[in-house]
Amino acid sequence: MTDLVRMEHIEKYFGRVQALNDVSFNVKEREIVGLLGDNGAGKSTLIKILSGALTATSGDIYIKDQKADIRNTGDAIRYGIETIYQDSALVPQLSIARNLFMGREPVKGRFGQLDQAHMNEVASNLLKQVGISKPIPPTTPISALSGGERQAVAIARAMYFESDLIILDEPTNNLGVEETQGVLRFVRNARDSGHSCIFIAHNIYHVFQVVDRIVVLRRGKKVADDIDPKKTTIEAVEHIITGMVEA
Amino acid sequence: MEKRSLLQRFIARPEFGPFVLLAILLIVFYVINPTFLSTLNIGNVLAFAPELGIIALAMTLLLTAGEIDLSVGSVFGFSAVIMWTLFNSGVASLEIAFVLAMALSLVIGFCSGFMVTRMKIPSFLVTLGMLLVVRGSALYITDGFPQRTWDASGSWLAELLVGDFYIGELRVWASLLWFILLAVIIGYVLTQTKRGNWILASGGNANSARARGVRVNATKISLFMLTAALAAFAGIISSIRTSAANPNSGTGYELEVIAMVVIGGTSMAGGRGTIIGTVLGVFILRIMRNGIILIGVPGLAYNIFVGAIILGMMALHSWLERRHNAGV
Ligand SMILES: Nc1ncnc2c1ncn2[C@@H]1O[C@H](COP(=O)(O)OP(=O)(O)OP(=O)(O)O)[C@@H](O)[C@H]1O
Ligand SMILES: [Mg+2]
Repeated sequence: MTDLVRMEHIEKYFGRVQALNDVSFNVKEREIVGLLGDNGAGKSTLIKILSGALTATSGDIYIKDQKADIRNTGDAIRYGIETIYQDSALVPQLSIARNLFMGREPVKGRFGQLDQAHMNEVASNLLKQVGISKPIPPTTPISALSGGERQAVAIARAMYFESDLIILDEPTNNLGVEETQGVLRFVRNARDSGHSCIFIAHNIYHVFQVVDRIVVLRRGKKVADDIDPKKTTIEAVEHIITGMVEA
Repeated sequence: MEKRSLLQRFIARPEFGPFVLLAILLIVFYVINPTFLSTLNIGNVLAFAPELGIIALAMTLLLTAGEIDLSVGSVFGFSAVIMWTLFNSGVASLEIAFVLAMALSLVIGFCSGFMVTRMKIPSFLVTLGMLLVVRGSALYITDGFPQRTWDASGSWLAELLVGDFYIGELRVWASLLWFILLAVIIGYVLTQTKRGNWILASGGNANSARARGVRVNATKISLFMLTAALAAFAGIISSIRTSAANPNSGTGYELEVIAMVVIGGTSMAGGRGTIIGTVLGVFILRIMRNGIILIGVPGLAYNIFVGAIILGMMALHSWLERRHNAGV
């Protein structure tokens, strides 16, 4: 399998604090990578560089073997990289359908009229596709959804607009058991329909349930790259994260 | 989600509160003094309402996009002064003077929008500064004296802006037609179009909207320009109708306009706005002003009622919001 995204020799300083120290990181096509590490290890910093929220002090990013210049989140989205946080990516007052199509609204006629019928229809189908089981009308405002349902909407949007890489930074935080299972299911569905994912979570059990490969950061350095969750134990990975064993 | 009856859905809408309030005002004023619904008085209300109403329409979009413009009252006074000064000094014909005054208002709006979006200064502060600069300019240009306005009758431009005609006994001003036309267009844009979705998204969550390719800054700048232009338009209409261009006119209008908009159910926090609500809000305040005098409450007490209504409506909106989680 070829690399979808490759980050090479990434360094990031915040003032004199070094958050990332020569980190190289790749995601293959149709792969879910679990990014693990203790608090402050640099996980969020790394994916923020990829999603355009931060820029690296040095290092290169390649997307499908082409050097990529990602300066802001808009650039990243154009490169097919979608990042999903708890709710920051959605407009709470607007409906599910309007959020799905935000910035790429389908219009008809001469006056830029929204094609709301089409938007609602696509939204309904997508909600079913990501695996939301209860019937939620696509005109429901995001503010009326649970945390897990919001994740589902964000994932649905990434899938519909053919994002190649979906980044989830602690998507299961503050979610109940059932909602968490839902999110994990959405992630698997996304992979099965051809997308790659980066999955960050502190709960290693959740990570083990979905990912194909685990990468571990510790204090800004990559300490493990190729852990296969099927061939190791949670305890062993925990030891690598805390530094009790070197990988 | 359970199916709601038509009535329940109507109650959940942000326009429900102002609608009921307007109905109550009409009934109360009429019962106390039936001349309130006389043709003459209705004509009076309809003559005044469009001027602030036109500004309120633009302010609705601006608040929905999460910004505010405090300079509308100043622009209202300034543009009329500019137009009449240019005309009186013989520099320009009335038509050219009108175009120049409107163009200047667009520049003012652009400056506010630019400072808010590019320099990231809160719009409250930018437009507070602009309020003083524009009002100061109007006073400086005129030495503080009202401008002579010539009898505008006969000019096609004046007829177009503030001509009047009668429907039966009812005297209707062209400004009312402008208000209706603008309300329909702006209401359509806000609820039905891509541009409207961008306005809502910019006010609801600017960062995520921007990340998805919504041109938040351009959207906001264009709304500042629209607001200034409509404030200028209203000021010019008012100056022709009253045959007066006073450098102080429009003082305090910004607060009245904002009150109209929020009474109508538009959120000051951005992300939610309603043109129907604003139209209701415009009539609520104009009818209050008119009706209070008709029923014999001292005019000086007007502000007490307006203040109480604003507070009451805010309480109602926040209560409804918590109950129904109304959205677009
Ligand atoms: N904006 C910033 N300014 C200064 N230092 C920062 C900033 N963002 C992150 N850091 C520092 O960079 C390091 C890595 O932070 P990062 O947020 O990437 O960690 P993380 O692995 O995501 O941790 P967590 O699991 O707690 O989310 C930390 O030491 C943090 O203090
Ligand atoms: Mg983090």
